[in-house]
Amino acid sequence: MKKHFFKFIIFSILLVLCSFNLIVKDKFVSDFKLKNATTNKWTSLSDYKNAKGFIIIFTCNKCPMAKFYSQRLNQMSDKYKTVGIPLIAINSMDTLAYAEESFKKMQNKVKTDKLNFPYLQDKKQVVGKNFKASVTPQAYVIWKKNNKFVIKYEGSIDDNAGDYQNVKNHFLTDAVDQLLYGKEVSVKNSEPFGCRIFYRGIIDKMK
Amino acid sequence: MKKIFFASIIAFTSTIINAQYSNMTMPQALYGTTFNLNIHESTKQLVTGNQTITGSINNETFWGPTLFINKGDLVHMNVTNNLNESTTVHWHGMHLPAVMDGGPHQVIPAGTLWQPYWTVMNQAATLWYHPHLHTTTQAQMTKGIGGFIIVKDPAETALTLPRTYGVDDIVLALTSRSYNTTTNTFVSPPTSARVYGDYMLSNGTPNAQYTLPKQFVRMRILNAEIERGYNLGFSDNRTFYVIGTDGGLLGAPVAVTRLPIHVGERYEIMVNLGNDVVGSSIDLKAYNSGQSQSFPGGEPGTTGVFGSLLNNIDFPVLHINVGATTTSTTPITALPSSLISNTYWTASDATVNRTVSITNGTPGPASVPFNFDNVSYAEATINKTVNLNAIEKWNIANTNPAVFGHSFHLHDIEFKIVSRNTGTAAAYESGWKDTFFISKNETVSFVGKFDDFADSDVTHPYMYHCHFGGHEDGGMMGQFIVTGTMGINENESNTSFSLYPNPSSNLLYVNLKDANTEIYYVTISTITGRVVMMLPQPEWQNGIDISSLESGVYTFQMMDKQTKSLTTRKFIKK
Repeated sequence: MKKHFFKFIIFSILLVLCSFNLIVKDKFVSDFKLKNATTNKWTSLSDYKNAKGFIIIFTCNKCPMAKFYSQRLNQMSDKYKTVGIPLIAINSMDTLAYAEESFKKMQNKVKTDKLNFPYLQDKKQVVGKNFKASVTPQAYVIWKKNNKFVIKYEGSIDDNAGDYQNVKNHFLTDAVDQLLYGKEVSVKNSEPFGCRIFYRGIIDKMK
Repeated sequence: MKKIFFASIIAFTSTIINAQYSNMTMPQALYGTTFNLNIHESTKQLVTGNQTITGSINNETFWGPTLFINKGDLVHMNVTNNLNESTTVHWHGMHLPAVMDGGPHQVIPAGTLWQPYWTVMNQAATLWYHPHLHTTTQAQMTKGIGGFIIVKDPAETALTLPRTYGVDDIVLALTSRSYNTTTNTFVSPPTSARVYGDYMLSNGTPNAQYTLPKQFVRMRILNAEIERGYNLGFSDNRTFYVIGTDGGLLGAPVAVTRLPIHVGERYEIMVNLGNDVVGSSIDLKAYNSGQSQSFPGGEPGTTGVFGSLLNNIDFPVLHINVGATTTSTTPITALPSSLISNTYWTASDATVNRTVSITNGTPGPASVPFNFDNVSYAEATINKTVNLNAIEKWNIANTNPAVFGHSFHLHDIEFKIVSRNTGTAAAYESGWKDTFFISKNETVSFVGKFDDFADSDVTHPYMYHCHFGGHEDGGMMGQFIVTGTMGINENESNTSFSLYPNPSSNLLYVNLKDANTEIYYVTISTITGRVVMMLPQPEWQNGIDISSLESGVYTFQMMDKQTKSLTTRKFIKK
């Protein structure tokens, strides 16, 4: 009996540790205000008073992996903005080093790809660093919690960039759907793939 | 009826068998004297599911076009780096000025146009180009950035050899890759240090097959690996003939049944398919089982940093389908008994004798990565100074204590291997070389003449290094300069200059205050500091073409040859 009690104590401690762990694991991101290539105005999360959460996509103009997703993102934006989850794309590429990612060329991309969502320039790369975005495209689902934003999903949009018909895991939309139904996100992370985002001053390769 | 049924069964079965192969990419051939090379990220379907993100040049989705150039031609390269990171492009095996060589010092930032040019002095040979940015070489090579250069000359053209590109004369870049299971991205630094791929890629094609005509065919084979060696042979053990090494054709074909080729090496071979049945097939294979443990890829494991599914086994690198004999070009039906005449240096020609020791690399927590003479590569350190026109014997010693094999590459010149202390150099490697394998406990000596290009420019030296991606990135590299005996101009030249017309829309001219000033390097940057054009020793007398620049204010930085001092002016692009 004593033995069992001891086991119970250990179990309780583990349970507490685990739940503590879960709390610690909650990653928050702060609001931002960035120039929007779609509207040519400034955009921040607080502009969306009634949003339950957001789909945030780190993307860029010329990465071939990112290019595959314009249509899909348009469809997602259409579908989820009506239920209070706007999609926002952010370009955190180093424009000082790379002219192809300029605001003007972002505006060109909005036109040619008929983007129906905000496409923001993170000129100082602050937002990308805050999210720890590493490649383009990289997807996040953030959810409003006590006027803060918790990361509920981070990773790839899905598992097949080039061939939408053969996507097996719709990681991003599955996460959003689960949140909409008040469930926990079952797959919270996946490995993003695409072109690396080089942060100025962190990797000294942009000589 | 029964016969037809039987035939259709065979046809069906062979379709199934062929279905496991993909037709091998033959990179686009580019000809002329001006080459535009656009390096960019790309995607390619290499495994089922998601496409793999790759690096490529121009229209390729992995690797780059094959550049055909003629000995004696002045060639201009317009290299644009459209990656979102810096790179360099080294012309491997090319004899050219160090400032054009594309080593780790010639950093091409993202979005920048680099314009090296040179007069082709190499004899007919199979060379190649690839990234050489220190600490990033393995990652960028893994992406697939690179390409072949085929040098032509009259001596080669005079021979009866197969030379219809893609038909009876093919290039074959051998490498292997592993894929991350969920994303199909390449396993590569910075997230993984694994060096041996699990799956073969031939010219960037998995499970490659190619149809070659029923006659003598020529294959220009490059080991484009990160580390693996290939002990090549045909599946029926037929004899084939090595006709060329790294630097050009041999004196006469060398008959072999096995040919080891290590990272960076090229061999041109001829094989006779004239006795094969049209419709039959034969595999070119890597007979890599049972190699010594210092043979890269001979390791026993399948997992871990040095593990691979292809380690220590025999595996096909190209499935060859024998097709009809060519009719549009005269088929080559015989092997020439002799090729070209080469005058090689011998050990007794050398007036300078140097030893370079391979050091460190012992596995363990406190280990220093492999290096030369206990000194790891440092950008600002010149390790050797060579006199112009010196004939030198370099002895590369892998004995101190030996840990593993290496692939040693020297920039600037082609040399002759004069000895291997473990026995004589093989007949197939008896021609001009710029890269060779050195196994454990071996000392290899070569003799070469450092001719034509002297420049005491410590900011643009030549390299010598191990060509294993991880080894060179880890510091197994040294650098040397070649110095001439030309007199030093005692007079301090006035490096002041002006630019005209200013503003300009197409051509920008330089007006030097002191006509004796030699322009060594021009770097054009935007007003925000982003480098847009890099012009080593520009042909400025005819004006500098700035038509590709967007309108705006730019800085024009000139490095003078004598003093290597920098002078800057601004100009406006209309």
